[in-house]
This record gives sequence, structure tokens and C-alpha cells, in this order.
Amino acid sequence: MTGQIRVAAVGDVHLDADALGRFRPALADLGERADVLLLAGDLTRHGTVAEAECVAREFGDLPVPVIAVLGNHDHHSDDAAQVTRVLQRAGITVLEGDTVEIDTPAGRLGVAGVKGFGGGFAGRCASAFGEPEMKAFVRTTCDSADRLSAALGKLTCDVRVALTHYSPVSDTLAGEPPEIYPFLGSYLLAEAIDAHPTALAVHGHAHAGTERGRTPGGVPVRNVAHPVIRQAYSIFNVG
Amino acid sequence: MQLDEYGEARVQRLLAEHDGVAEQGITVVRRADAIVLCGVVETPGRRDDIVRLVSTEFPEIQVVCDIHVATARPPVDAEDLS
Repeated sequence: MTGQIRVAAVGDVHLDADALGRFRPALADLGERADVLLLAGDLTRHGTVAEAECVAREFGDLPVPVIAVLGNHDHHSDDAAQVTRVLQRAGITVLEGDTVEIDTPAGRLGVAGVKGFGGGFAGRCASAFGEPEMKAFVRTTCDSADRLSAALGKLTCDVRVALTHYSPVSDTLAGEPPEIYPFLGSYLLAEAIDAHPTALAVHGHAHAGTERGRTPGGVPVRNVAHPVIRQAYSIFNVG
Repeated sequence: MQLDEYGEARVQRLLAEHDGVAEQGITVVRRADAIVLCGVVETPGRRDDIVRLVSTEFPEIQVVCDIHVATARPPVDAEDLS
């Protein structure tokens, strides 16, 4: 093994026919610049099959493995299973509580992914108490964080990366109105990440947020939402 | 005419819930004589659709557009996290 593993990542590309082809020129030399491409959810506008076909055309048939999680937009048409199948047919791995491991020249990379959900951050977070709707909201996040922790725990690779759509930390939400932080992420995701030796956590969702943060346990967190990074993808060298 | 808090909330929900727009990342800023729409979208057409929608819904209020279109250029460099 030599060097570092090169992780390219972008989220919130919100593809539809009107944006088809925008990313493709920048992906032409991706194989020379990165070992893997992560897509951090909100790949479509409304979660339709037609939009998923656009994602498949834009990010399919690339020289590196492409690994995705879905975002809230990708669920809007209540057809996430079909969206997932369209992406998978294009060779894109879609994670939701599971993992994938990839051999690179710099070692074996493992990615664990979930969409995640909201709930907020320590001191200002929701609790599973009261109305059924409130309990269901918080339990959705708890279940997602549990799946992420279990997935990270299964990995036996050299370098672990956590991929989510919702944010695990409030650091990368700076710039968003604080009132909506509970709808942008949850500390439970960070707790899951910190329970395992994770090299990097990547998320999207927060269009007005900032790029860089860190979990309480010290894991680097990067918000790769396209409106934040304002480039086709970012590259992180890890390991 | 000035947009009040209810109007601001209507704009934000309209942008997210209108099928032709579906944008949750636009910030609405109320000014004395106008509303300013801020954010980043994927195409010039989407930016124009947002402005058209809000202007149609609130014809008596001036809409100022500060919405940028994200570029999709390749990155200049990589960040070393080891």
C-alpha cells in the first residue's frame, strides 16, 4: 500500500432533465484524481424515476466506484425503492444501513451509509416523548443512527468513511438559521460515527451551511452539498 | 407594500411545496420595500422560475433576486485529512 485513499464527494445535485450533463465534463478525468465518488443524497428534485434516470446517466459508467445514499428529496415521490433500482442498474451502489468495501492502491476503503434524519443537537434536541408523531420522528433518527453504527462496526477495512445526507454535527450548519437545525441533522449520527474508528464523515442537505466540522470525538466532517462547495466535487485524501 | 411574517412563511413554503420548484435552500429576507431571495440553485432556469413564482404570488411586492447558479467545475486541489 502506498499513499492515501482519494475520496471524491458531492451531494445535493438535484438533477432533472434541465441540469443533465452539467457535471459530466468535470467527471471526465475523475479516474486520475480519485479512487471513489460518494454522492451524499438529494440526487433528484422530486424523487421520480425520470429524475433518477438523469442521475444514472450523469454518474453512471464512471471509471471509479460510485456510492450513494438517498436524501429527503429522493423520497418525495414515495418511490425510493424504484429510484434505488434505477441507480443500481447504472452501477451505483446505494447504501441504507449497509456497507461496501473497495480495494484501492492505498488500502482497503469501507463506506457505511444511511440517509439519516433530523432531531437536533445536544442541548437543543428532540426527545421521544409525548405524541405518537413526536416519538415516531425521534425514533426514525434513533433507528437510522443504530443502523449507521452497526454498519460501521461491520467494516474490517483500513479506512472507514461514514456517508449520510443529514448532518451529524452542527458545525457544518453554520450559516443556516439556528431554528431549523433540528430539521438538518442529529447528534445521534455523530455518536454512531464516534463509536468506531472513522476517518471521515461526509454529508449534504445544508445548502446554506459551511464545509468543515468535527464530531465531539474528533472525526472530520465535511458538508459536500453542491451549493456549499460550488464545484463538481471535492476530494479528500484519507488514511 | 411590505411582506409580514405570515407572508414570509408563505413564500418559504411555496418554494418548497410547489411541484415546479421544490427548493428548500432559498432564504427569504424581508426589507422595507422588497423581499430578497438568496441561495444557490443548479440552473439559471430554476432561478428564473423561483423569481417568477414569487412575483406572481405577491404581485404588489418587489422581488430582488440574489440567487446564484452553482458551477460544476472540477476541484483545483484536494484536502489532506490524514
